[in-house]
Amino acid sequence: MTALAAALRMRARRRLAGLERRRRDPRYTRVVGRLRGMNLLVTNFEVADPGGPIRLADALWAGDVEPRIFELLPALVVKAPATFDDVRTLPPDLAAAVRALRRGETPADFRGIPGADLAGWLPRVGRREKLPSCTKTFRLRHDDLKLLRQLASALELTETDVVRRALRALAAAELVD
Amino acid sequence: MLRDLARRLDAWVTDRNAELRLEGMPAYRPCQIRVLGQAALLESGLPLHLSATRDVDVRADYEHAVEAEFGRLLRASGRDLDPVGHEARMPTETTYTPLYSGRNVTLLVADPDAVLVSKALKAPAKNRPLIVEYLAKGASPRFLRLCTRYAVDLEQFA
Repeated sequence: MTALAAALRMRARRRLAGLERRRRDPRYTRVVGRLRGMNLLVTNFEVADPGGPIRLADALWAGDVEPRIFELLPALVVKAPATFDDVRTLPPDLAAAVRALRRGETPADFRGIPGADLAGWLPRVGRREKLPSCTKTFRLRHDDLKLLRQLASALELTETDVVRRALRALAAAELVD
Repeated sequence: MLRDLARRLDAWVTDRNAELRLEGMPAYRPCQIRVLGQAALLESGLPLHLSATRDVDVRADYEHAVEAEFGRLLRASGRDLDPVGHEARMPTETTYTPLYSGRNVTLLVADPDAVLVSKALKAPAKNRPLIVEYLAKGASPRFLRLCTRYAVDLEQFA
Protein backbone atom coordinates (compact mmCIF):
# COMPACT_ATOMS: atom_id res chain seq x y z
CA MET A 1 0.00 0.00 0.00
CA THR A 2 1.39 3.41 -0.87
CA ALA A 3 1.93 6.04 1.82
CA LEU A 4 -0.84 8.08 0.23
CA ALA A 5 -3.34 5.22 0.43
CA ALA A 6 -2.31 4.52 4.04
CA ALA A 7 -2.85 8.16 5.01
CA LEU A 8 -6.21 8.15 3.25
CA ARG A 9 -7.25 5.02 5.12
CA MET A 10 -6.22 6.52 8.44
CA ARG A 11 -8.35 9.62 7.84
CA ALA A 12 -11.27 7.52 6.60
CA ARG A 13 -11.07 5.41 9.79
CA ARG A 14 -11.49 8.52 11.92
CA ARG A 15 -14.51 9.56 9.84
CA LEU A 16 -15.95 6.06 10.04
CA ALA A 17 -15.68 6.09 13.84
CA GLY A 18 -17.91 9.20 13.89
CA LEU A 19 -20.24 7.65 11.33
CA GLU A 20 -20.63 4.45 13.34
CA ARG A 21 -21.35 6.43 16.50
CA ARG A 22 -24.15 8.28 14.66
CA ARG A 23 -25.50 5.00 13.23
CA ARG A 24 -26.08 3.81 16.80
CA ASP A 25 -28.06 6.96 17.62
CA PRO A 26 -31.80 6.27 18.13
CA ARG A 27 -32.65 9.08 15.69
CA TYR A 28 -30.93 7.15 12.90
CA THR A 29 -32.31 3.73 13.84
CA ARG A 30 -35.87 5.08 14.20
CA VAL A 31 -35.83 6.80 10.80
CA VAL A 32 -34.15 3.96 8.89
CA GLY A 33 -36.38 1.43 10.68
CA ARG A 34 -39.53 3.34 9.73
CA LEU A 35 -38.51 3.83 6.08
CA ARG A 36 -37.53 0.16 5.89
CA GLY A 37 -40.90 -0.75 7.40
CA MET A 38 -42.58 1.37 4.73
CA ASN A 39 -40.61 -0.59 2.11
CA LEU A 40 -38.82 2.53 0.92
CA LEU A 41 -35.35 1.46 2.05
CA VAL A 42 -33.65 -1.91 1.83
CA THR A 43 -30.78 -2.60 4.24
CA ASN A 44 -28.30 -5.41 4.86
CA PHE A 45 -28.66 -4.96 8.64
CA GLU A 46 -31.54 -5.50 11.00
CA VAL A 47 -33.31 -2.47 12.39
CA ALA A 48 -36.69 -2.39 14.13
CA ASP A 49 -39.59 -0.41 12.67
CA PRO A 50 -40.78 1.91 15.45
CA GLY A 51 -44.16 2.27 13.69
CA GLY A 52 -46.12 5.51 13.75
CA PRO A 53 -44.89 8.95 12.78
CA ILE A 54 -41.21 9.90 13.05
CA ARG A 55 -39.85 13.33 13.80
CA LEU A 56 -38.93 15.34 10.70
CA ALA A 57 -35.95 16.76 12.62
CA ASP A 58 -34.72 13.20 13.16
CA ALA A 59 -35.05 12.42 9.46
CA LEU A 60 -33.05 15.53 8.57
CA TRP A 61 -30.39 14.53 11.10
CA ALA A 62 -30.28 10.93 9.87
CA GLY A 63 -29.97 12.13 6.26
CA ASP A 64 -26.46 13.31 7.04
CA VAL A 65 -25.60 9.72 7.98
CA GLU A 66 -27.50 8.07 5.09
CA PRO A 67 -28.10 10.59 2.27
CA ARG A 68 -30.68 8.30 0.62
CA ILE A 69 -33.05 9.56 3.32
CA PHE A 70 -32.76 13.05 1.79
CA GLU A 71 -33.72 11.55 -1.57
CA LEU A 72 -37.06 10.37 -0.16
CA LEU A 73 -37.89 13.28 2.18
CA PRO A 74 -39.50 15.87 -0.14
CA ALA A 75 -41.77 13.32 -1.85
CA LEU A 76 -42.78 11.90 1.54
CA VAL A 77 -43.69 15.36 2.84
CA VAL A 78 -45.89 15.92 -0.24
CA LYS A 79 -47.47 12.47 -0.63
CA ALA A 80 -47.27 10.85 2.79
CA PRO A 81 -47.03 13.65 5.37
CA ALA A 82 -48.39 11.32 8.06
CA THR A 83 -44.95 9.66 8.02
CA PHE A 84 -43.83 12.62 10.17
CA ASP A 85 -45.19 14.06 13.38
CA ASP A 86 -45.34 17.60 12.01
CA VAL A 87 -44.64 18.98 8.53
CA ARG A 88 -46.02 22.46 9.12
CA THR A 89 -42.58 23.93 9.78
CA LEU A 90 -39.97 22.97 7.21
CA PRO A 91 -36.41 24.22 6.80
CA PRO A 92 -36.17 26.62 3.80
CA ASP A 93 -34.37 24.19 1.45
CA LEU A 94 -36.86 21.40 2.11
CA ALA A 95 -39.78 23.84 1.82
CA ALA A 96 -38.46 24.96 -1.59
CA ALA A 97 -38.15 21.35 -2.80
CA VAL A 98 -41.66 20.53 -1.55
CA ARG A 99 -43.10 23.67 -3.17
CA ALA A 100 -41.52 22.75 -6.53
CA LEU A 101 -42.85 19.18 -6.34
CA ARG A 102 -46.34 20.43 -5.53
CA ARG A 103 -46.23 22.68 -8.62
CA GLY A 104 -45.15 19.77 -10.79
CA GLU A 105 -41.70 21.30 -11.29
CA THR A 106 -38.28 19.70 -10.89
CA PRO A 107 -36.83 21.04 -7.64
CA ALA A 108 -33.32 22.37 -7.19
CA ASP A 109 -30.79 19.98 -5.66
CA PHE A 110 -31.58 19.22 -2.02
CA ARG A 111 -28.61 18.56 0.28
CA GLY A 112 -26.54 16.99 -2.48
CA ILE A 113 -29.37 15.04 -4.11
CA PRO A 114 -30.21 16.08 -7.71
CA GLY A 115 -33.69 17.55 -8.16
CA ALA A 116 -34.59 14.98 -10.84
CA ASP A 117 -33.93 12.17 -8.33
CA LEU A 118 -36.24 13.88 -5.81
CA ALA A 119 -39.01 14.26 -8.41
CA GLY A 120 -38.69 10.61 -9.41
CA TRP A 121 -40.04 9.53 -6.02
CA LEU A 122 -43.25 11.55 -6.19
CA PRO A 123 -45.38 8.93 -8.00
CA ARG A 124 -43.78 6.13 -5.98
CA VAL A 125 -44.51 7.05 -2.37
CA GLY A 126 -47.93 7.19 -0.75
CA ARG A 127 -50.65 6.30 -3.26
CA ARG A 128 -48.62 4.89 -6.13
CA GLU A 129 -48.78 6.45 -9.60
CA LYS A 130 -50.90 9.29 -8.22
CA LEU A 131 -49.44 12.77 -8.42
CA PRO A 132 -50.62 15.61 -6.19
CA SER A 133 -53.01 18.12 -7.73
CA CYS A 134 -51.68 21.65 -8.23
CA THR A 135 -53.30 25.00 -7.51
CA LYS A 136 -53.68 27.48 -10.36
CA THR A 137 -55.51 30.77 -9.97
CA PHE A 138 -57.54 32.46 -12.72
CA ARG A 139 -59.51 35.70 -12.76
CA LEU A 140 -62.88 35.01 -14.39
CA ARG A 141 -65.56 37.42 -15.55
CA HIS A 142 -68.90 37.25 -13.72
CA ASP A 143 -70.63 35.62 -16.68
CA ASP A 144 -67.84 32.96 -16.94
CA LEU A 145 -68.22 32.21 -13.26
CA LYS A 146 -72.00 32.01 -13.61
CA LEU A 147 -71.60 29.59 -16.52
CA LEU A 148 -69.14 27.46 -14.52
CA ARG A 149 -71.58 27.23 -11.60
CA GLN A 150 -74.50 26.42 -13.93
CA LEU A 151 -72.52 23.62 -15.60
CA ALA A 152 -71.37 22.23 -12.26
CA SER A 153 -74.93 22.19 -10.98
CA ALA A 154 -76.44 20.72 -14.17
CA LEU A 155 -73.78 18.00 -14.53
CA GLU A 156 -73.52 17.36 -10.77
CA LEU A 157 -69.77 17.93 -10.90
CA THR A 158 -67.42 20.10 -8.91
CA GLU A 159 -66.33 23.31 -10.65
CA THR A 160 -62.81 21.81 -10.92
CA ASP A 161 -64.22 18.74 -12.66
CA VAL A 162 -66.11 20.98 -15.11
CA VAL A 163 -62.82 22.69 -16.01
CA ARG A 164 -61.09 19.27 -16.28
CA ARG A 165 -63.82 17.93 -18.57
CA ALA A 166 -63.83 21.09 -20.70
CA LEU A 167 -60.04 20.89 -21.06
CA ARG A 168 -60.20 17.29 -22.23
CA ALA A 169 -63.00 18.04 -24.69
CA LEU A 170 -61.01 20.96 -26.08
CA ALA A 171 -57.84 18.87 -26.27
CA ALA A 172 -59.68 16.07 -28.10
CA ALA A 173 -61.10 18.56 -30.59
CA GLU A 174 -58.06 20.73 -31.16
CA LEU A 175 -54.89 18.76 -30.45
CA VAL A 176 -53.47 16.23 -32.88
CA ASP A 177 -52.07 13.09 -31.11
CA MET B 1 -33.39 -12.54 -3.52
CA LEU B 2 -32.35 -11.67 -7.09
CA ARG B 3 -31.19 -15.24 -7.75
CA ASP B 4 -34.64 -16.52 -6.85
CA LEU B 5 -36.32 -13.89 -9.05
CA ALA B 6 -34.05 -14.84 -11.97
CA ARG B 7 -35.00 -18.50 -11.49
CA ARG B 8 -38.70 -17.60 -11.53
CA LEU B 9 -38.25 -15.39 -14.58
CA ASP B 10 -36.42 -18.21 -16.35
CA ALA B 11 -39.30 -20.58 -15.61
CA TRP B 12 -41.80 -18.00 -16.89
CA VAL B 13 -39.85 -17.53 -20.15
CA THR B 14 -39.61 -21.31 -20.61
CA ASP B 15 -43.38 -21.71 -20.13
CA ARG B 16 -44.22 -18.76 -22.41
CA ASN B 17 -41.86 -20.04 -25.10
CA ALA B 18 -43.59 -23.43 -25.06
CA GLU B 19 -46.96 -21.67 -25.53
CA LEU B 20 -45.58 -19.40 -28.26
CA ARG B 21 -44.17 -22.37 -30.19
CA LEU B 22 -47.54 -24.10 -30.06
CA GLU B 23 -49.11 -20.94 -31.48
CA GLY B 24 -46.47 -20.84 -34.22
CA MET B 25 -45.05 -17.60 -32.85
CA PRO B 26 -41.35 -16.77 -32.39
CA ALA B 27 -40.06 -17.58 -28.91
CA TYR B 28 -38.35 -15.08 -26.63
CA ARG B 29 -34.60 -15.23 -27.11
CA PRO B 30 -32.32 -15.96 -24.13
CA CYS B 31 -31.38 -12.81 -22.25
CA GLN B 32 -28.68 -11.52 -19.98
CA ILE B 33 -29.45 -9.21 -17.05
CA ARG B 34 -26.58 -7.29 -15.48
CA VAL B 35 -27.27 -5.93 -12.01
CA LEU B 36 -25.59 -2.60 -11.22
CA GLY B 37 -25.62 -0.06 -8.42
CA GLN B 38 -26.62 -0.59 -4.82
CA ALA B 39 -28.48 -3.82 -5.66
CA ALA B 40 -25.19 -5.29 -6.90
CA LEU B 41 -23.46 -4.24 -3.66
CA LEU B 42 -26.20 -5.87 -1.59
CA GLU B 43 -25.76 -9.11 -3.53
CA SER B 44 -21.96 -8.99 -3.27
CA GLY B 45 -21.99 -9.60 0.49
CA LEU B 46 -19.36 -6.89 1.03
CA PRO B 47 -19.02 -6.15 4.77
CA LEU B 48 -20.38 -2.62 4.45
CA HIS B 49 -23.35 -1.00 6.18
CA LEU B 50 -25.68 -0.74 3.17
CA SER B 51 -28.97 1.05 2.69
CA ALA B 52 -30.62 1.25 -0.69
CA THR B 53 -33.83 2.59 -2.07
CA ARG B 54 -36.01 -0.13 -3.53
CA ASP B 55 -34.78 0.60 -7.08
CA VAL B 56 -32.85 -2.08 -8.88
CA ASP B 57 -30.56 -0.83 -11.65
CA VAL B 58 -29.98 -3.27 -14.46
CA ARG B 59 -28.66 -3.32 -17.99
CA ALA B 60 -30.28 -6.10 -19.97
CA ASP B 61 -30.88 -7.31 -23.50
CA TYR B 62 -34.33 -8.78 -22.83
CA GLU B 63 -37.48 -8.25 -24.88
CA HIS B 64 -40.23 -5.99 -23.62
CA ALA B 65 -42.51 -8.78 -22.34
CA VAL B 66 -39.62 -10.33 -20.37
CA GLU B 67 -38.74 -6.92 -18.92
CA ALA B 68 -42.37 -6.41 -17.90
CA GLU B 69 -42.44 -9.79 -16.15
CA PHE B 70 -39.13 -9.07 -14.40
CA GLY B 71 -40.55 -5.71 -13.25
CA ARG B 72 -43.67 -7.48 -11.96
CA LEU B 73 -41.61 -10.05 -10.04
CA LEU B 74 -39.49 -7.29 -8.51
CA ARG B 75 -42.58 -5.30 -7.46
CA ALA B 76 -44.05 -8.41 -5.85
CA SER B 77 -40.83 -8.65 -3.80
CA GLY B 78 -41.02 -5.01 -2.74
CA ARG B 79 -38.45 -3.76 -5.23
CA ASP B 80 -38.75 -1.69 -8.42
CA LEU B 81 -36.98 -1.87 -11.73
CA ASP B 82 -35.36 1.54 -12.19
CA PRO B 83 -36.56 2.80 -15.60
CA VAL B 84 -33.27 4.68 -16.11
CA GLY B 85 -31.06 2.12 -14.36
CA HIS B 86 -29.41 1.18 -17.64
CA GLU B 87 -28.03 4.73 -17.88
CA ALA B 88 -25.65 4.10 -14.95
CA ARG B 89 -22.12 4.53 -16.26
CA MET B 90 -19.82 1.71 -15.32
CA PRO B 91 -16.05 1.53 -15.84
CA THR B 92 -15.07 -0.45 -18.94
CA GLU B 93 -13.02 -2.71 -16.61
CA THR B 94 -16.20 -3.87 -14.81
CA THR B 95 -16.40 -7.62 -14.41
CA TYR B 96 -19.68 -9.46 -13.91
CA THR B 97 -20.16 -12.54 -11.78
CA PRO B 98 -22.96 -14.96 -12.68
CA LEU B 99 -25.55 -15.19 -9.93
CA TYR B 100 -27.92 -17.38 -11.92
CA SER B 101 -27.44 -19.18 -15.22
CA GLY B 102 -30.60 -20.72 -16.62
CA ARG B 103 -31.88 -21.89 -19.96
CA ASN B 104 -33.29 -18.50 -20.95
CA VAL B 105 -32.09 -16.08 -18.30
CA THR B 106 -28.59 -15.30 -17.07
CA LEU B 107 -28.25 -12.89 -14.16
CA LEU B 108 -24.86 -11.28 -13.56
CA VAL B 109 -23.75 -8.92 -10.82
CA ALA B 110 -21.25 -6.09 -11.35
CA ASP B 111 -18.10 -6.30 -9.21
CA PRO B 112 -18.20 -4.09 -6.09
CA ASP B 113 -15.00 -2.17 -6.94
CA ALA B 114 -16.45 -0.98 -10.23
CA VAL B 115 -19.81 -0.14 -8.63
CA LEU B 116 -18.12 1.91 -5.90
CA VAL B 117 -15.94 3.77 -8.44
CA SER B 118 -19.05 4.59 -10.47
CA LYS B 119 -20.79 5.86 -7.32
CA ALA B 120 -17.80 7.91 -6.15
CA LEU B 121 -17.56 9.51 -9.57
CA LYS B 122 -21.22 10.19 -10.37
CA ALA B 123 -22.88 10.82 -7.00
CA PRO B 124 -20.20 11.58 -4.39
CA ALA B 125 -22.55 13.40 -1.99
CA LYS B 126 -25.07 10.57 -1.87
CA ASN B 127 -22.39 7.92 -1.45
CA ARG B 128 -19.95 9.67 0.88
CA PRO B 129 -20.62 7.44 3.95
CA LEU B 130 -20.32 4.33 1.80
CA ILE B 131 -16.98 5.33 0.25
CA VAL B 132 -15.63 6.47 3.63
CA GLU B 133 -16.47 3.07 5.11
CA TYR B 134 -14.90 1.21 2.20
CA LEU B 135 -11.70 3.30 2.43
CA ALA B 136 -11.55 2.83 6.20
CA LYS B 137 -11.99 -0.93 5.97
CA GLY B 138 -9.22 -1.22 3.39
CA ALA B 139 -10.18 -0.50 -0.19
CA SER B 140 -8.79 -2.99 -2.69
CA PRO B 141 -5.75 -2.01 -4.79
CA ARG B 142 -8.00 -2.46 -7.84
CA PHE B 143 -10.46 0.13 -6.51
CA LEU B 144 -7.61 2.59 -5.92
CA ARG B 145 -6.25 1.92 -9.42
CA LEU B 146 -9.67 2.47 -10.99
CA CYS B 147 -10.08 5.70 -9.00
CA THR B 148 -6.78 6.96 -10.43
CA ARG B 149 -7.77 5.87 -13.94
CA TYR B 150 -11.16 7.67 -13.73
CA ALA B 151 -9.82 10.71 -11.84
CA VAL B 152 -11.96 10.15 -8.75
CA ASP B 153 -10.89 12.60 -6.06
CA LEU B 154 -10.73 10.36 -2.99
CA GLU B 155 -9.55 13.25 -0.81
CA GLN B 156 -13.13 14.58 -0.76
CA PHE B 157 -14.23 11.49 1.18
CA ALA B 158 -11.52 11.31 3.86
